[in-house]
Amino acid sequence: MTHNRLPVRPGEVIDRETSLAFTWNGRPHTGLRGDTIASALAADGVEVFARSMKYKRRRGIMTADHWDPNLSVQVGDEPNVRAGSRRLVAGMEVSAQNVWPSLKFDIGAANQLVGRFLSPGFYYKTFMRPKWLWHHLYQTILRRFAPGGRIHWETSTHGAYDKRYAHPDVLVAGGGPAGMGAAIAAAEAGASVMLVEHEPELGGHLRWGDAEDLTALADLLAAVQSHPGIEVLVDSTVTGRYDHNWIAVMQRSHEVAPERLIKARAGSLVVAPGLIERPYVFAGNDTPGVMLSGAVRRLINLWAVKPGSRAVVLSANPEGDAAIADLEAAGVEIVAALDARVGEDIVEVEGRGRVRRAVLGDGRTVAADLVVLGTGWTAPTSLLNMAGDRPVYDPTAARYFPNQLPDNVLATGGITGNGSTVELVAHGSATGTLAANRALRNRHERRSSTARARSPEGPMPESLQDTRVPLARTPHPECYRSSSHGMVDFSEDVSSKDLFQASGEGFDSIELMKRYTTATMGPSQGKLETVNAAAVLAEARSMDMVDIGTTVWRPPFAPISLGALAGRIFEPIRRSALQDWHEAHGASPLLAGQWVRPDHYGDPVGEARNVRENVGIIDVTPLGKLDLRGPDVAKLLELVYVNRWQKLEIGRVRYGTMVAEDGVVSDDGVTGRLGEDHYLMTTTSSGAGAVWEMLEDYLQTYRPEWNVHVTAVTGGLTSINVAGPRCRDLLLRLVEDVDLSPEAFPYFHVRRGRVAGVSGCIIWRIGFTGELSYELHVPSGHALHVWESLIANGEDLGIRPFGVESQRILRLEKGHYIVGQDTDGLTKAPSAGLGGLVKLDKHDTLGLPELRASYARTDLPVLVAIQTDDPEIVPMEADQIVDGDSNRILGRITSSRMSPTLGRSVCLGQVDPSLAAAGSKVTILLVNGHRVSGTVQEHHAHVDPEGVRQNA
Amino acid sequence: MPDIEFKSPIAHGPVSAPDGSVSLEDETSTTKVVVRAATGTAAAADLGVPYGQSRLRADGTLVCGTRPGEWTLFAAAGRATEVAASVDTDGFVNVVDVTHGRAMMRVSGPKATAMLAKVCDIDLTDDMAPDGAVFSGSVAKVTCDLLRSDWRGEVSYLISCERSFGNYLFATLADASTEFGAELPTGLDIH
Repeated sequence: MTHNRLPVRPGEVIDRETSLAFTWNGRPHTGLRGDTIASALAADGVEVFARSMKYKRRRGIMTADHWDPNLSVQVGDEPNVRAGSRRLVAGMEVSAQNVWPSLKFDIGAANQLVGRFLSPGFYYKTFMRPKWLWHHLYQTILRRFAPGGRIHWETSTHGAYDKRYAHPDVLVAGGGPAGMGAAIAAAEAGASVMLVEHEPELGGHLRWGDAEDLTALADLLAAVQSHPGIEVLVDSTVTGRYDHNWIAVMQRSHEVAPERLIKARAGSLVVAPGLIERPYVFAGNDTPGVMLSGAVRRLINLWAVKPGSRAVVLSANPEGDAAIADLEAAGVEIVAALDARVGEDIVEVEGRGRVRRAVLGDGRTVAADLVVLGTGWTAPTSLLNMAGDRPVYDPTAARYFPNQLPDNVLATGGITGNGSTVELVAHGSATGTLAANRALRNRHERRSSTARARSPEGPMPESLQDTRVPLARTPHPECYRSSSHGMVDFSEDVSSKDLFQASGEGFDSIELMKRYTTATMGPSQGKLETVNAAAVLAEARSMDMVDIGTTVWRPPFAPISLGALAGRIFEPIRRSALQDWHEAHGASPLLAGQWVRPDHYGDPVGEARNVRENVGIIDVTPLGKLDLRGPDVAKLLELVYVNRWQKLEIGRVRYGTMVAEDGVVSDDGVTGRLGEDHYLMTTTSSGAGAVWEMLEDYLQTYRPEWNVHVTAVTGGLTSINVAGPRCRDLLLRLVEDVDLSPEAFPYFHVRRGRVAGVSGCIIWRIGFTGELSYELHVPSGHALHVWESLIANGEDLGIRPFGVESQRILRLEKGHYIVGQDTDGLTKAPSAGLGGLVKLDKHDTLGLPELRASYARTDLPVLVAIQTDDPEIVPMEADQIVDGDSNRILGRITSSRMSPTLGRSVCLGQVDPSLAAAGSKVTILLVNGHRVSGTVQEHHAHVDPEGVRQNA
Repeated sequence: MPDIEFKSPIAHGPVSAPDGSVSLEDETSTTKVVVRAATGTAAAADLGVPYGQSRLRADGTLVCGTRPGEWTLFAAAGRATEVAASVDTDGFVNVVDVTHGRAMMRVSGPKATAMLAKVCDIDLTDDMAPDGAVFSGSVAKVTCDLLRSDWRGEVSYLISCERSFGNYLFATLADASTEFGAELPTGLDIH
């Protein structure tokens, strides 16, 4: 194993006293604390880190930072780890991903032999026919070539992901000299600042700079760290900027979560991402050993890693020149120093696992194991584009620059121009001051206009003018492609030759070319390849770069894991005051919307039978309950229900149905009048929220003159239905202050009283089960006491709790329909069997015109009760009703159960009006393909259609 | 009904970090009375607190301007009848005791705001939500009323929600508190 570790470097970030053992593809390695995975491996002599996506070419370090397209590795069960920035941890199990069978021998490398057949559009052209092979062959094979690591979702040791919200005045994206300068100035101006840096340390290019840079960095760090108004997030990426400065920040390696998405709403966004070094296109430019100047400087100065022995350097800028100095200081022999500013060039690199030779522009071939490129910069304008900017290309500086930005987004640093450290910090500082001014004016405005906020202490801060002196645009040669073809998109294996071909085939706009070739669509997301791709297209079309345009940058700026997007999964669960009791007594849970309810207690049929024979109690708390008070409640009820409400007497309850404005049944329930101006409305469980919203909507917008107060009391009143022929006997033992005799408290009446000593209970006589029953609405803090009292006092009466399934059986026997089950999103009132309930002569009701129109129609389906002629057959809900032996659909079964009371199946169904008459024969098509016959019944109720039991 | 125990929907006791950075307590038994009063009524004038703000009355009742034209009155447990009776109901005024219908919990400590920032997107900075501020919003996807009510010299919030969500919300806030050192009680696990 080669050891490439250099003697101590002035700015190194490694701790030479602390060794960290880890494995790479199963083999033991050792690094130092402070190493990245990549630097540790490079120090140990590893040269090949990955295979490319399509051609499986060997790939090594190219940028040695977070954006390196060749350094995505698997760490334990975590895929796609950026080895260029992820810090080494002892015990890491690191492996190459997307290789088979190994990194050293990858069978997929055979693709290089047939590369000319794998040109752009290969997928579109090749896997079109025959269609059936897609599922059986193509898909299976192609999936083996899908890039990326492996997830271990069944055995993952990942902790939960996390989310948090933040409201900084100023969010600075980028922690280089300009970004730090901006953060300090903004904080000193009184703004709260969030400073976000995607590398694990602040400092940007100062970190690997000379002594002067390191001193400047130390000063900036001290200022940032000592300011309480600055929150620093390192190893974090600003991934998107959305309307009103809603900014997404992905925080990695947090102690409580592997990744955390921060949703920040910032007053001002300062974009200070610096510049990303751009590769150069020539033959063999993806060979291990071809590195950008920043990569070698980082390896040497941060991690004391010698990147090679004999180097060819192509430089077009001072940073490239600095790399030569660093290489020499590290003992690397410079075999050729080429100056692109005077037209010197490199044409080709030879070698497979490592650079062996380089062919230079003057025809010379030199032996080398390292080729260093300092050929230009890409401005990562992504966040600016997301803010509506369309950056403009400047050919003299060979890069794009910001154009027009909204007031709450400001750019600083290298993205706006060139400068010394002092100039960059000064520009950042001026930008931070301006950003703080705008953010604090925004905060002042919000404090003035938000009811809960503390009133501003003083007047609105004066608006500062933007007097920043722009940074210079240093001339730079346009170095994009040599005279040979090479790789443009390293993530997607797209070469300049591919782009020429795509242009030739007519995909000659930048957006079309991108989609056809997939250039810029890989994990790099354009950071290294966008400008080169545009340049190659411009060259292919003989156009200027200015005219070729760029692709649109959209969020996310950098890939985000789905786990981070999901964050903590919040799934609110609603529990009644009795749910603990249900669970302690063997209830099988049923998730109904957000509610967890008892489906049954082990014997739903027995529970249903017990209600018919003795007495049962069911927790129906999820019923929506709205307390309505005010002199105009009756008008509101008249408006939202299809029947009449003006004459409901105190102490009476009435059933009502609601329809939407299109006449479709939307909800139903019972409303009781408790006092002169006081009503209690119940809704379906699932419709409670929507009905409440609808009532408020009408009261606040359409009928603001009506005096009605609506208060949701669903959870405050625990609802218990007591049903069965012996329920009155039970309640006589527990109810005080209320005469329960049939004469004094008949069906569809309401009373208020004490139950089991609990005052403030509302009792009404209604019946969903078809039995004599009372519904108790009990203050929830005392509901368990009432429930347990019912159970204790009903023992000799045969009391049993029953669940939702038993209730469904019982209500179906009685023929009560359920909105949403026996109706659907198109069911108008006539199809719900509402008949005379709907009063078409009312002055106003929601949906009245549609109701009138629907009642004039004769073609709407009709809800009917159906009995199968074979009483043992229970069709499934949603089985179709068809026309004889044909498949013409004439309806469907909406509810079905075996009736324990009748010993036969009972059904409700929606049928064509031609089949609605009692006695009509229907054909039901079962799931197994069999057809069975049934007969339409006279009444919806299969049991007690006269209502003798419920009126007892 | 002095002998009938008031049962909270929250099944777990207090949760706190050993260093006191954050703590979470069930306050559901607190008396909660909602008053809706039209503009111009004596009740509206008496209550006097603008929407978004709160004040402590001399009788120990905390009056919160929960929504325009709506106030929530908090008082010690068992005072609902008394508090309701204190409201002048002349005019279009309605008083509803929601003690049984709202779960309530108190979040306190120097990290209380940071903990809430994990589950609530409202700007909780001192300027935007100072002591006494009343506001509504989503907390871990549950619609809640919040009151910044500093307590014993430290930042504190009273959070109330529809009763049936109470146990879920308490468990979720407890889980969010683990980042700051709180330990979950046995049996409380939202994952």
